[in-house]
Amino acid sequence: MPGGLFSSPKMIREENTDSGSLLQGTLEMLVLKALARGPQHGYAVAEWIHQVSHQLLKVEEGALYPALHRLELRGFLKAEWGVSENNRRAKFYRLTAEGTKRLDSESQRWARLSAAVAFVMQSS
Amino acid sequence: MLPAISAFLGRFSSLFRKRRMESEMSEELAFHRDRLREKYLQEGMSASEAERAARVRFGDAQRWRERLREIWSFRLLEELMRDVRFSLRLLWKSPGFTAVAMATLALGVSANTAVFALIDSLLLRPLPIPAAHEMVVLTMLEDGSRSPTSFCTPFFRSLEGQSDVFQNVFAFVNDTLQVRADSGNVNVHGVMVSGQYFAAMQVKPLLGRYLTPADDKEGGSPSGFAIVISEQFWKNWFDGAPDVVGRKLTIANVPFTVVGVIPKSFMGADPTQQPQIYAPISADPIIDAPRDHLHGGTHAWWLTAMARLKPGIELDKANAALQSVSASVLHESGGEPEWIKDEEMHHFRFGAESGSNGFAYVRSVFRKPLLTMFAMCGGLLLLACLNLASLLLARGAVRERELATRRALGATRARLVRQLMIESLLLAGLGTGLGVAFAPMVSHALSALLSGGNGPDSMVLDASADWRLYSFAASVALIASVLIGLVPALRATDGDLNEQIKNGQHAQQKHARAKLIPRLLMISQVALALILVSGAALLATSLVRLYRTGLGFDPHGVVNIAFSMDKQQLDGDPLIEIYRQIEEGLKTAPGVKEVSFQSIVPLSHRNWNGTYTTPGGTRQLIWLNSVGPEYFHTMRIPVEQGRTFTWNDTKTSGMKIILNRSAAKRFFPTGDVVGRQILDRDKTVYEVVAVVGDVKYRDVRGPATPAGYVPIQQDPQKKPSFNAVVRVDGPWAPLVPFSRELAARLAPSIPAPVIRPMDDVVDTSISTERMMALLGLFFAGCSLLVTAIGLYGTLSYTTARRANEIGIRIALGAQRLRVTMMVFRENAVVVAIGTGSGLAVAVALSTMLTSFLYETSTRDPWILMAATLTLVGVASAASILPALRASWIDPMQAIRSE
Repeated sequence: MPGGLFSSPKMIREENTDSGSLLQGTLEMLVLKALARGPQHGYAVAEWIHQVSHQLLKVEEGALYPALHRLELRGFLKAEWGVSENNRRAKFYRLTAEGTKRLDSESQRWARLSAAVAFVMQSS
Repeated sequence: MLPAISAFLGRFSSLFRKRRMESEMSEELAFHRDRLREKYLQEGMSASEAERAARVRFGDAQRWRERLREIWSFRLLEELMRDVRFSLRLLWKSPGFTAVAMATLALGVSANTAVFALIDSLLLRPLPIPAAHEMVVLTMLEDGSRSPTSFCTPFFRSLEGQSDVFQNVFAFVNDTLQVRADSGNVNVHGVMVSGQYFAAMQVKPLLGRYLTPADDKEGGSPSGFAIVISEQFWKNWFDGAPDVVGRKLTIANVPFTVVGVIPKSFMGADPTQQPQIYAPISADPIIDAPRDHLHGGTHAWWLTAMARLKPGIELDKANAALQSVSASVLHESGGEPEWIKDEEMHHFRFGAESGSNGFAYVRSVFRKPLLTMFAMCGGLLLLACLNLASLLLARGAVRERELATRRALGATRARLVRQLMIESLLLAGLGTGLGVAFAPMVSHALSALLSGGNGPDSMVLDASADWRLYSFAASVALIASVLIGLVPALRATDGDLNEQIKNGQHAQQKHARAKLIPRLLMISQVALALILVSGAALLATSLVRLYRTGLGFDPHGVVNIAFSMDKQQLDGDPLIEIYRQIEEGLKTAPGVKEVSFQSIVPLSHRNWNGTYTTPGGTRQLIWLNSVGPEYFHTMRIPVEQGRTFTWNDTKTSGMKIILNRSAAKRFFPTGDVVGRQILDRDKTVYEVVAVVGDVKYRDVRGPATPAGYVPIQQDPQKKPSFNAVVRVDGPWAPLVPFSRELAARLAPSIPAPVIRPMDDVVDTSISTERMMALLGLFFAGCSLLVTAIGLYGTLSYTTARRANEIGIRIALGAQRLRVTMMVFRENAVVVAIGTGSGLAVAVALSTMLTSFLYETSTRDPWILMAATLTLVGVASAASILPALRASWIDPMQAIRSE
């Protein structure tokens, strides 16, 4: 697989469709976006993406946690232990300043990319 | 922070909190699974169904943790640490190889670092003062070349006022001061400095104040002469008394007032001296009494002059400014018109040179030997590295199979090379570390060798470490590592390792390239060794010739006892009477055979000369000495004609002189010499009473100079100080207390007499040659040893690798002698090429040594042949053992062991 640019087919599953893989950067972008609203634990991130995408996107745990840890390692996220809604100890991720910047640049990139793809697909 | 840096730090810190991270990962995943289960329960599943669904969805927790761990793990570093552990284990398992490798490397590194420490302290280190780069040494130039003499008072005093380009102009002169102690006068090492000396140094005093221009006035300041003392002197002499400022010290029978203490961090403008007392140069007529350099006009050249440039002034500008005043300074000097004219004809002018590391006379003496020594050390280190590289290469060849197996089991080539590289770097690091640790000891020994013991010219070299030394040691370590790390790099390019697993020890395909590299390494080793050995042979031969050359006298068993009579009250006949009593006294000392006196100790760098003429008009410069009765017998100088001096040759009995053979021949080429007359400049007539054998007066190296001797009673100096020359049978040590008691009885006010054996004087006068020869021999011995180890080691390894093949040859009927020759030939070729090329380079390089050689040609065929034979002999001895061992191989065992 060249350069790991593409995710493995199982990373993000689009429910009810058989369509194939999505770009890996996409998952990281979605995670950053989920955390833009405030600190969250991993489960809430997955749930949020699931709901906001109208149950179209389902994030696999096997992809979610490596993505979270990778982002933390690279300094885009900061992890702290806190107390969850149901009073349990949970690891909360928070966007750092670097992370916010990263989210901006990623969403711009995504906008350009999807527009470009749309142009291509809409051409006759 | 850049993501890459953040990731690096994160990974690094994760190394130290592995267990906590593990449990946190587990907890994080458990939390997620519980939330999933709760969600399924809410969606209406039963408890067991929800549990099962969550587990199915989640999979094996162990696997997730593995994936997360992967993200955080510091693969490179962990592997590196594993490699280091593995390499250490390997080195530990072959202690002989490791010990040899580290020892050779440590030797090379410590020699280099030690010599560099000396070079650093003598040639590179700036004075420990603010803005040392502003310091310049003032010089005098005649016809554009630097005159070697010091400055005279008129020159210096004229320049002292130059404030256009200089902040300060100052002068100093090292001296020995007679200081009154409870037990009489003692000699203390000191320096006389001019008024602006301390202002130029810009160093704060520890106590009190420094000397100022007001102290450097005729007769001192209104409150008398002032001195500054060193911190060490303050502690030793005054017990560190806090009220030392204002106390008196009697120097040369005159009271001086201590006005300040100088911190030990700064010793003065000459970094090789550690003066205890700093006195103004205006006190010279007292301190050096009965001599007076201060008022010596243009006849006393005694001062070293330096200056501090104004900030921002370049050396060129200073030189131009000095040039413009040169003529007027020369004319105002009060010198004889004839001399001034002569100087003008030679375009006399003043100049300035960079003086950021002060001025040290010894620098000019030791610069070349030190640099040559440095080159020799560098050769030795290079040899050690090449040796190590070829040993590692040979060892690697034996390990081919191991490496191939590891490769087959999945190790990447990069990984294997990395491990080999770490092995060599470990060796390099440990070896250089050891070498650097030993370096201070070596440099201490070297500086002792260099400064020629405790003679009067002894110097202090501060070889302590500074940043230059550290960075030098680091770069040595780096170069050594690169040279040694070369091996794995070469191995990496050395064909396909996988090939080896198929062939194992049967791999006999001759990779021409693979064989060439180790051979080239060995050849350069042999060549280098030959260069070092022939250099050492040249130096050693020259030293032997130097010792064998006739001195004209027999120094063995002769000691000089210096009596400083210049500051006591007596002069003239009463003083001569004291010397006579000293002679009588010394004759009663145990073991003493003969006693006499001399003013100048031959080869001690002190000299006295004068121009004499015959009535016929032959002018000749001769070197002079005043000597006592029995002098020639004591020194074993043959008297060829005439009679020697007696105590009756007094000032009133007519001036007498004894000439040596060279002088006699110059003055009177024909006819009898005894009874003839020569005249000095003042037309005083001297009667020649004898002709004696030639003696080396100033230098062992050149031919004997024409010389004349006058009786001590007729010595022109006031209150002359003579050396008693004593020939003793047996040890001379008892003479030390004996002469001290004698002096205390006969001349209670003089300092304790100083004893110096004549052998020591001779050794010191050729200390550079001695040091070079000793070091050369040491380095040559080391290089022979290292080369022998290299030749033996590589041949042993290659033979071990060929054991199987050799076994088959023997089994097939090869004669043992032929097997021996076959193995031996491998090294013989290497040694032949190595000596050939080494000899060529040695001949080219040995011109570097010319100035250290006495009556020895750098191309002396006998010496070069001897060096070559020595090397070939050692190399053959080192190569014959593995060859013989190869011929003793038991074919059955060799073939079976495969």
